[in-house]
Amino acid sequence: MRTFEPSATSDPALFRSIDHTTTKFYVTVGVLAAIVLFAVFMYVRQVVLGLGVTGMMQPVTWGFYIVNFVFFIGISHAGTLISAILRITQAEWRRPITRMAEVITAIVLAIGGLHPILDLGRPERVMNVFLFGRLQSPLLWDVTSISAYFAASTVYLYLPLIPDIALLRDRSRRLRWFYDFLSWGWQGTPRQWKVLSRAINIMMIVVVPVAVSVHTIISYIFAMTLQSGWHSTIFGPYFVVGAIFSGIAALFVTMIAFRSAFRLEAYLKLIHFQQLAKLLLAMSMLWTYFTFCEYLTGFYGGEPEELKSILYKVTGQYAPLFWLMVACNFFIPLVLLGFRRFRTIPGILIASIGVLVGMWLERLIIVVPTLENPRMPFPSGIYVPSLTEISLFAGALALFALSFLGFAKLFPIVSVWEIQEGRALAKVEMEERIQSYLPDEQAGHVQA
Amino acid sequence: MSKPDVHGPWYRRGIDLLRLMSIVLMWLFLGGVITWMVNVVRVSHSLGDALTVSVGVSVVAVAVYTLVAAVLTYVFFGLQRGRGGPEK
Amino acid sequence: MPRWGMVIDLDRCTGCGACVAACKVENNVQFVSAAESERGRRMHWLRLLVESTGTYPEAEIRIVPNLCVMCDNPPCTKVCPVHATYLGEDRLVAQIYPRCIGCRYCMAACPYSVKVFNWSDPRWSAETRSILNPDVSLRPKGVVEKCTFCHHRLQAAKEVARADQRPLREADYQPACVQICPADAMTFGDLDDEFSPVSQLRRSARAMRPQEHLGTEPKVYYLQRRDAHV
Repeated sequence: MRTFEPSATSDPALFRSIDHTTTKFYVTVGVLAAIVLFAVFMYVRQVVLGLGVTGMMQPVTWGFYIVNFVFFIGISHAGTLISAILRITQAEWRRPITRMAEVITAIVLAIGGLHPILDLGRPERVMNVFLFGRLQSPLLWDVTSISAYFAASTVYLYLPLIPDIALLRDRSRRLRWFYDFLSWGWQGTPRQWKVLSRAINIMMIVVVPVAVSVHTIISYIFAMTLQSGWHSTIFGPYFVVGAIFSGIAALFVTMIAFRSAFRLEAYLKLIHFQQLAKLLLAMSMLWTYFTFCEYLTGFYGGEPEELKSILYKVTGQYAPLFWLMVACNFFIPLVLLGFRRFRTIPGILIASIGVLVGMWLERLIIVVPTLENPRMPFPSGIYVPSLTEISLFAGALALFALSFLGFAKLFPIVSVWEIQEGRALAKVEMEERIQSYLPDEQAGHVQA
Repeated sequence: MSKPDVHGPWYRRGIDLLRLMSIVLMWLFLGGVITWMVNVVRVSHSLGDALTVSVGVSVVAVAVYTLVAAVLTYVFFGLQRGRGGPEK
Repeated sequence: MPRWGMVIDLDRCTGCGACVAACKVENNVQFVSAAESERGRRMHWLRLLVESTGTYPEAEIRIVPNLCVMCDNPPCTKVCPVHATYLGEDRLVAQIYPRCIGCRYCMAACPYSVKVFNWSDPRWSAETRSILNPDVSLRPKGVVEKCTFCHHRLQAAKEVARADQRPLREADYQPACVQICPADAMTFGDLDDEFSPVSQLRRSARAMRPQEHLGTEPKVYYLQRRDAHV
């Protein structure tokens, strides 16, 4: 393959987040750290006093922690799946996006994977999962698949990072040893490029089925029980679609935030947002289709338990949240992303925040109403989250932002070598590729 | 903005050691995953509790982890071997 | 090995609640404060559910004692990640308190809502501490528990039978709730013994099992008039 020399000097803007630390940065880090510390304090308090400090009760024994668990793991799909699929399809507009996507996945998987432990009544016994684990339980499948996905996506983040780490090694004085160690001896020789591209190609293919399996298995936590509203065959694909949907929205929010914070307007241009917005719109339609299938089937069949659960969500106690979810996930993206005049960066930001809210609501509407409607005539109540759960949610979001900022301080959040590769080689490669799609020279002259 | 490279004689060795430790850590992690899976299969066998599922899931899990470990190992040694000259 | 089962006659049950109290005292089930009780944290291994159908003047109330129905195909044991709840050799669904990690998956999976969770550490007042049953272990916060058909009484009965060098008889053991019911609404025994009272009662025309269509194979039967349903 044609190689090129990545240079540390031709794109100084991409190193700005590493080189310059503004007061705004310190203030942001300070505020985020304070939120995280408060969340840690609330968690320790929960461990000491027991899960009674949450809003959960009989019969709603799963609340915010499980909702956020599904939500955060769902966001992880953006990253790696989008980056891998865009790489596989050789979409040229992926270049400034892939790094951020991969980082989101790694961070959000770690945070999401932490949530079931936050939810445990006896967290000190978590080793029991490894000592006595039963692989028949969907929770064990979850532990396996999430940790496998975390391993795979960390490697998938690290491999394309290596040439950029080498650039940092060659230009930095402080932390030079850190970049030197992480660069694993990268010098950009043709043989090394061959090894790296082959490895990235393998990982981008491996990561896709692993990612799909992760959210399918999370859906199985619910689908494998006999509860109405959960025991549905559509859950596997439904959750994966929802995950990719919320993941793209999270990616957008991150892109917009960092684009303005580090002034990367030259690299993250409107066209990138518009291309990705088409994907978000497509996922919105897909999500709406799945939701429609799920609710119509249950409603039409009219099986009493199923119907009770559906009506509770659509016309009952949860109706305001349900219709807010539909508005955020369907109507708002349809308008803001479907019409060109609204498909601007502010429009995309509003749509993405709406999707994140809507998808979080979807997780809530899946978990809690079923529990609030037990099969037996059990005296039930409305689940109201407590300060503990809200602060842990805030802490998780703050931890995500904090980790992302930490990454941005150490590594470029836009892949420098991929941008430069695009500049150097993409035009020629694209011309060759398009030429291969077009009919051959002799095709029109067969009957000469 | 490259600096003159004045490092002590142990610098290069230290970096090489760190790198080796990172790949060894990864193999240890793989070993840990395999141990865990084997233990869980043994537990399910002794309890007589869905052995086929346990074996099935463990095989897939260990396969994925081994593949990822293999890719990382390939990259590690491939980069070492593909070096143009000694590192600074 | 007897297959322990229970038959509850809903047409005899007066809803007096003696079984609920007996169960709580027998099994050291935690007492929670009034505030916690309002928040839905009260702990009962056996509780009386009130099911009302119809409107005035055709309103009907049915009081249903709700306890673990000891499924032969339990949905809760399927999902426990650490084998803390399992189908024991007496065909009773058992709980290993020291192993439970408190994930509450079994609670989410149980279609009968019979599992309870210790939301906080139990606080025993002087009076309640004085009536603790030494045969039943105390559970800390963060673990799931449920009715065990007073398994400790089964253990004691087995030991007595072994000491007397005779096989265990059905009449040797019954749970506290069955023992105390003043209306004789609860019958307990070996479902595999076709001549035992439980076996005869469960073959009655009024017998049904809750949520039977789910395939859980519960071992608790309810007797009620044909037109009612639980």
